[in-house]
Amino acid sequence: MSKLPLWLRIGGNSAASLVLGFLVLPILAVVPASFNKASFIYLPPRAYSGVWYERFLEDAEWRTSLLNSLQVAVLATAIAVVLGTLAAIGLRRLEGRWRAGITALFLAPMIVPVVVTAVALYRSALDVGLSGSILGMSLGHMILALPFVVINVGIALRGVDENWLKAASGLGGGPWTVFRTITLPNITPGIVGGAVFSFITSFDEVVVAVFLAGYSNKTLPVKIWESIRLEFTPVIAVAATMMIVLAIVLFAVAQLVSSGRETPTK
Amino acid sequence: MKNTGLPLRLEGVSKRYGKYTALTPTDLTVAAGEFLTLLGPSGSGKTTLLNLIAGYLEPMSGTIEIGSRDVTRLPARQRNIGMVFQSYALFPHMTVGQNIGYGLAVRGVSKAESTRRVSEVLSLMRLEGYADRPIQKMSGGQQQRVALARALVIEPDVLLMDEPLSALDKQLRRTVQLELRRLHQEHGRTTIYVTHDQEEALVLSDRIAVMDQGRIQQLGTVDDIYDRPANAFVAGFIGESNLLPVKVNAVAEGKATTEVEAFRRTIVAPAAPGVEAGQTARLLLRPEHLLLNETDDGVPAEIIEAVYLGELSQYGLALESGQVLTARRITDRSLRTGMKVSLSWDPGHARVVPEN
Ligand SMILES: Nc1ncnc2c1ncn2[C@@H]1O[C@H](COP(=O)(O)OP(=O)(O)OP(=O)(O)O)[C@@H](O)[C@H]1O
Ligand SMILES: [Mg+2]
Repeated sequence: MSKLPLWLRIGGNSAASLVLGFLVLPILAVVPASFNKASFIYLPPRAYSGVWYERFLEDAEWRTSLLNSLQVAVLATAIAVVLGTLAAIGLRRLEGRWRAGITALFLAPMIVPVVVTAVALYRSALDVGLSGSILGMSLGHMILALPFVVINVGIALRGVDENWLKAASGLGGGPWTVFRTITLPNITPGIVGGAVFSFITSFDEVVVAVFLAGYSNKTLPVKIWESIRLEFTPVIAVAATMMIVLAIVLFAVAQLVSSGRETPTK
Repeated sequence: MKNTGLPLRLEGVSKRYGKYTALTPTDLTVAAGEFLTLLGPSGSGKTTLLNLIAGYLEPMSGTIEIGSRDVTRLPARQRNIGMVFQSYALFPHMTVGQNIGYGLAVRGVSKAESTRRVSEVLSLMRLEGYADRPIQKMSGGQQQRVALARALVIEPDVLLMDEPLSALDKQLRRTVQLELRRLHQEHGRTTIYVTHDQEEALVLSDRIAVMDQGRIQQLGTVDDIYDRPANAFVAGFIGESNLLPVKVNAVAEGKATTEVEAFRRTIVAPAAPGVEAGQTARLLLRPEHLLLNETDDGVPAEIIEAVYLGELSQYGLALESGQVLTARRITDRSLRTGMKVSLSWDPGHARVVPEN
């Protein structure tokens, strides 16, 4: 590898740091903002306190919205993981032409503008009486999350040798046993990755949620969006901080699971 | 664990991929305890045949019987067949012991019994003490033995191996071949073995099936196939050969009278079944059966190349017709490039075979 001139390396690194800074710092700014003592967001805060965290937890509407978000995200993730994994396995068995077409169909929710999906879901949800329900929002988010599972599991499946499955079934394993003992352990990192993306997709999703939330079942991002139009209080920063922390924790988990797979201990 | 396995019978088994015929309707009978090798060029249908027997492919026609059981419609898991894959197909997330014990575990064999049988087969394969090793930490040769152990531990009625040694280097391959032969002699069970490697086939097999273009071209012992090839493909594929185009004038009592253009002579030689008067055929002369200067009235030829291989030498011989033959003789330093020689052969060693 040829060494770059010093000025180029310094210049390159500085540029990269700047870009990263521009991307990340505004997001991280909400963390100190959430520890303001005053009822207005000062940056940096003039005095620190955890008072807005208390306020967040005391307020029934904020609490409910957090719980709603968690419920919706868990449900959406669970359904997306099951359906997405099945879809990925099915896609792998298809012939080339069919596979490309149907894959595109599964990935469509990632490409179609979310607001279009949201309008479509809004109409359909009204028809089947799912509008304003947790289940309705979960199903909506599930559709947005599905591509992440299909992609992640699809990639993981490429690492599963067809011959392992043949060997396992030749040794006496039925289809379910072979899936459970051979396929599943080898695609777990892909499933976990897909699940994390699904969860985060749902947890911070606002467009579909606004359309489907109704009055009583607001999710956290919907509540933030509503609040921010009324007043600019540090509680919003608290809510945002919680979302960031959750995202970081989930990505860390996904990282651990996939790196733990690649280098088996012992 | 002395179990010689069961006989295997295929009748009219065929396979097509779309319009492409990978296996023409094929009959094959393998005796209990026999070691049969499928030998043939790439794409000749060896793996297809093996996969049909194992139950990984469904035949378009025909029946497959193991022992007295018709398994044609049974899924692979109900056939009790052990298969060793070219790539081994070992389960990467399991230890050596778990890999070998997999077939026992899914059959609901008890833990204790499974442990006992796994350690038994480990020692049979000279892998004692490796049970708890992750599979990735085993060398190529060790993985090959684990794959074989995994197939053997379920006591299969038939053992199938698809080019199991092709991933090993040449030296290791020799060792494992001898090991396989020892295993088969001690614990012989019905085995079908696929290889590209003629020598390997000769070392291991009771019988060899030579395949080409989705068809078993000849099935027989090593001697049958080498000395009495059924057609020009088999003659050319097994060992080295000179194959000369001939026109058949007459066939009687297993001998054909043929016009050999290259020799400008008519000769009489033993003929394979399928050689018919009035048709073209091939005359097979093995390099080691050609004689130089043993008679005066042989076919005149000129030595155009002499390669010393130690005790033996290989000679390139140009006939007056322009045809070039290869001869292999005990080294004789008086034979040099450019010399004219008289070429002959023991009439019993020539053979007329159909073109295909
Ligand atoms: N799934 C498939 N679809 C279409 N054609 C196939 C398929 N599998 C095999 N074939 C074709 O069938 C023929 C026989 O294949 P097969 O794998 O049995 O050959 P082989 O004798 O095992 O060759 P090799 O020595 O290269 O392993 C080949 O021409 C191959 O291209
Ligand atoms: Mg093959």
